[in-house]
Amino acid sequence: MGSRILLRQCVKELRNNNKQWIERAIATNAQCNTNKLVDINKALEVPEAEQESTEKFLNPMEFDRQQQLKKYIAVSSQENIPIVTGIPEEHIKTRRVRIYQPPKNAMQSGTNNIHNWQIDYDTRERWENPLMGWTSSGDPLSNLKVEFATKEEAIAHCIKMQYEYEIQKPNRSQPKPRSYGENFSWNKRTRVSTK
Amino acid sequence: MLRLPLVRATGLSSSRLGAVGLHTTGSKSQASQELVEVFIDDKPVQVPPGTTVLQAAAKAGVEIPRFCYHERLAVAGNCRMCLVEIEKQIKPVAACAMPVMKGWRVKTNSDLTRKAREGVMEFLLVNHPLDCPICDQGGECDLQDQSMAFGNDRSRFTDIEFSGKRAVEDKDIGPLIKTVMTRCIHCTRCIRFASEVAGLDDLGTTGRGNDMQVGTYVEKMFLSELSGNVIDLCPVGALTNKPYAFVARPWENRRTDSIDVLDAVGSNIVVSSRTGEVLRILPRVNEDVNEEWLSDKSRFACDGLKRQRIITPMIKIAGKLQSVAWEDALVTAAKALQTVAGNEGAVIAGKLADAEALIALKDLFNKLGSEVLATEQGFPKDGSGIDLRSSYLLNNTIAGIEEADVVLLIGTNPRYEAPLVNTRLRKGYLHGEQTIALIGPNIDLSYEYENLGDSIDIITKLKNGSHPFSATLKNAKKPLIILGAEQLTRKDGAKIVSETQALANTLGNNVQASEDWKVLNVLHTNASQVAALDLGYGSTIEDVKQQQPKVLFLLGADDANIKKEDFPNTFIIYLGSHGDQGATIADVVLAGAAYTEKTGSYVNTEGRAQQTGAALTPPGMARPDWKVIRALSEIAGHRLPYDNITEVRSRLEEVAPHIVRYGDVEPANFFAQAHELAKQTGGSFLPDPVDIKQKTLDQFFMTDVISRASPTMAKCVQAAIKQRQTEL
Repeated sequence: MGSRILLRQCVKELRNNNKQWIERAIATNAQCNTNKLVDINKALEVPEAEQESTEKFLNPMEFDRQQQLKKYIAVSSQENIPIVTGIPEEHIKTRRVRIYQPPKNAMQSGTNNIHNWQIDYDTRERWENPLMGWTSSGDPLSNLKVEFATKEEAIAHCIKMQYEYEIQKPNRSQPKPRSYGENFSWNKRTRVSTK
Repeated sequence: MLRLPLVRATGLSSSRLGAVGLHTTGSKSQASQELVEVFIDDKPVQVPPGTTVLQAAAKAGVEIPRFCYHERLAVAGNCRMCLVEIEKQIKPVAACAMPVMKGWRVKTNSDLTRKAREGVMEFLLVNHPLDCPICDQGGECDLQDQSMAFGNDRSRFTDIEFSGKRAVEDKDIGPLIKTVMTRCIHCTRCIRFASEVAGLDDLGTTGRGNDMQVGTYVEKMFLSELSGNVIDLCPVGALTNKPYAFVARPWENRRTDSIDVLDAVGSNIVVSSRTGEVLRILPRVNEDVNEEWLSDKSRFACDGLKRQRIITPMIKIAGKLQSVAWEDALVTAAKALQTVAGNEGAVIAGKLADAEALIALKDLFNKLGSEVLATEQGFPKDGSGIDLRSSYLLNNTIAGIEEADVVLLIGTNPRYEAPLVNTRLRKGYLHGEQTIALIGPNIDLSYEYENLGDSIDIITKLKNGSHPFSATLKNAKKPLIILGAEQLTRKDGAKIVSETQALANTLGNNVQASEDWKVLNVLHTNASQVAALDLGYGSTIEDVKQQQPKVLFLLGADDANIKKEDFPNTFIIYLGSHGDQGATIADVVLAGAAYTEKTGSYVNTEGRAQQTGAALTPPGMARPDWKVIRALSEIAGHRLPYDNITEVRSRLEEVAPHIVRYGDVEPANFFAQAHELAKQTGGSFLPDPVDIKQKTLDQFFMTDVISRASPTMAKCVQAAIKQRQTEL
């Protein structure tokens, strides 16, 4: 069988009398010697046994299933993801989600961490734990903030999770540019009084 | 999440950064100007001429490190942290002060730039103490972060002489700001804030080079209604929050976005809390409301949230208020309510009431058959009364104040009634050459203004054109009248409203300003006022006194005008968060929540609906106000048809849809109609001069239950009085 495969591989070159190929064929396969080269065309003409499809032997249900798997799996848009995730119903139906852009920290000037969108959940009861005086909460989502690149992604997530959500308007920030020269103008009130 | 860096790389964030960096006022001249093309790290950006390198870089999505530069302050250019390389220039350039030229290629991450930053950083750190572990700024310090990002990874500072680092004596600048002047890096942001925004030339520098110090020249406290903002501005720990000193680290705190309710501006805030306590309050940027600032009362009165709290319901037994269970208090209150027939019940809503509680209480009392719903600060009923919103809103919006060229203040001291409205006026005064005039007593507004006198009939004179100032008003392109809500509680309040409306109407017809320019503005002092008026709380305390109701419900009403003597035979129910004036005269006290403990809707003086966020749970047995009212209604036999906040809000939406459209201003109109109706208002002005309650700084700090309960505010009042006495 190995010879047949090799034969098929080099048949083109053999037909074109490519000597290199012939030599290689001789070197790698002892059975294929130069004497038999004449039979090559003959050998190729021998028909191969027809391959039977395995599908023919499957039971019809399995066959159908395999056919289905070849196609795309269509999911209705109303797929109930929360049930699949196992999140308690209380944390799906009664939660109010806020979609917002995080504000800049007033204490710092950096802004690299605020160009995304986040969601957070409504505040649930927290209490002081009598053991250590730390704060306890029965709310598994109280420390969860999920980040999204865009508002649309956040909305899509909330719809998928069937949360009730509200969108906080992003902040428009465009302070007027200042020029260094204003500090020294004679006829304007912007002249700096203290240094 | 995972996709975020990809989006940033594709330049999505750069467009957002662009909005931060550049200002296009929409003026035609600027739009028609040709844009200049510059290259930031080989990325082309189109910017208007005069834009600085730093702003152009921001537009390209590149943030250049800075210490002294602040978008809302004058450019100083003295920290040198923003040095960048520009191709074909020998020396690095300070990006914050240098306007761009056509075709410049700015390199914000080249070897030269990085070396320059490292050098600046090294110089700063040589003179900066290594006390981050005991510094209150630790964790939110620009110097810390930038030395990590841009500084060298090793130090050449070896103090072989053991002479120690530079040290500077600390200054005492008041009860709010703690100073550790050794940490100061001389960015001068605090100085510029004080002189530009606060209008107080108290801070400045002395000495040069290594001997330079920031201080107050003479020993003096830095007392202003906005002084707390220098804490935020300080990029290091030189100026820190005194009440918050050594209390917490920023990463321990839970941050909740909320709204301030101690004045009617509705400043956006972030409530920092930990272990069931509000530790500090920081401003949150909202360009339309408070920009980036916050008044001292809103920032520091948070320790009042822990004192004088009503944590259990109480009933007056034998002349004394005794703590009881909710059931007993609610049953007692409900029994009293059941005796009410027709118009025998009344409500007075206080300063801090949220719209949810207001609507629940209104529904309950309307079910009982009462329609006497009053606010602490009454609004005259004559003319259109509260029917047309334009009569009681700051119609031109807070941000719009900057654009006015002539402003007439009638009986208001915006500096203390609404400090963040005053910053707008000051901004207009500095940058827009605004002319400001005041009818009222002589007060310090932090900018120059013309005092027209304190007689109320000046309004009529201005209308008739017989006053010298009326020419200025008439020639104004964008005139603005701001009427203090306090004046409307005068006996001739209706006349004041109608005359002001008439004046605004003449000016409006005269100037032919654009359609949406609104001349008439009312500046409120109470956070709940606009929502209450929107919901139909139309009565005044005087009406309630006249009516002598059987049952009076005080919804956080602690006004000094409400006295037990006026209501000898009235059963008083008080619902509120603090034990103050209202609780002492009540027969039943119901424990409510403060603004940091409930999600409530508020409408600010310009008519912008906003909501607070619940940072904590109410202490003890206290509950959110609307829940208490809902429970009471069920026991009293008039069950209100809502069980959760969403349902209350849909009820709010039925009555006043704008209250649940958070973040939006619902503009008011019908000025002409309001004016027509106001014409019928009879009466004449009283001879009393126009007076303002809050004239000096010490009168600013304590105006409501929370700030009255706050020890920090008490210290501020003391300091302000002390300072005034030493100055005299």
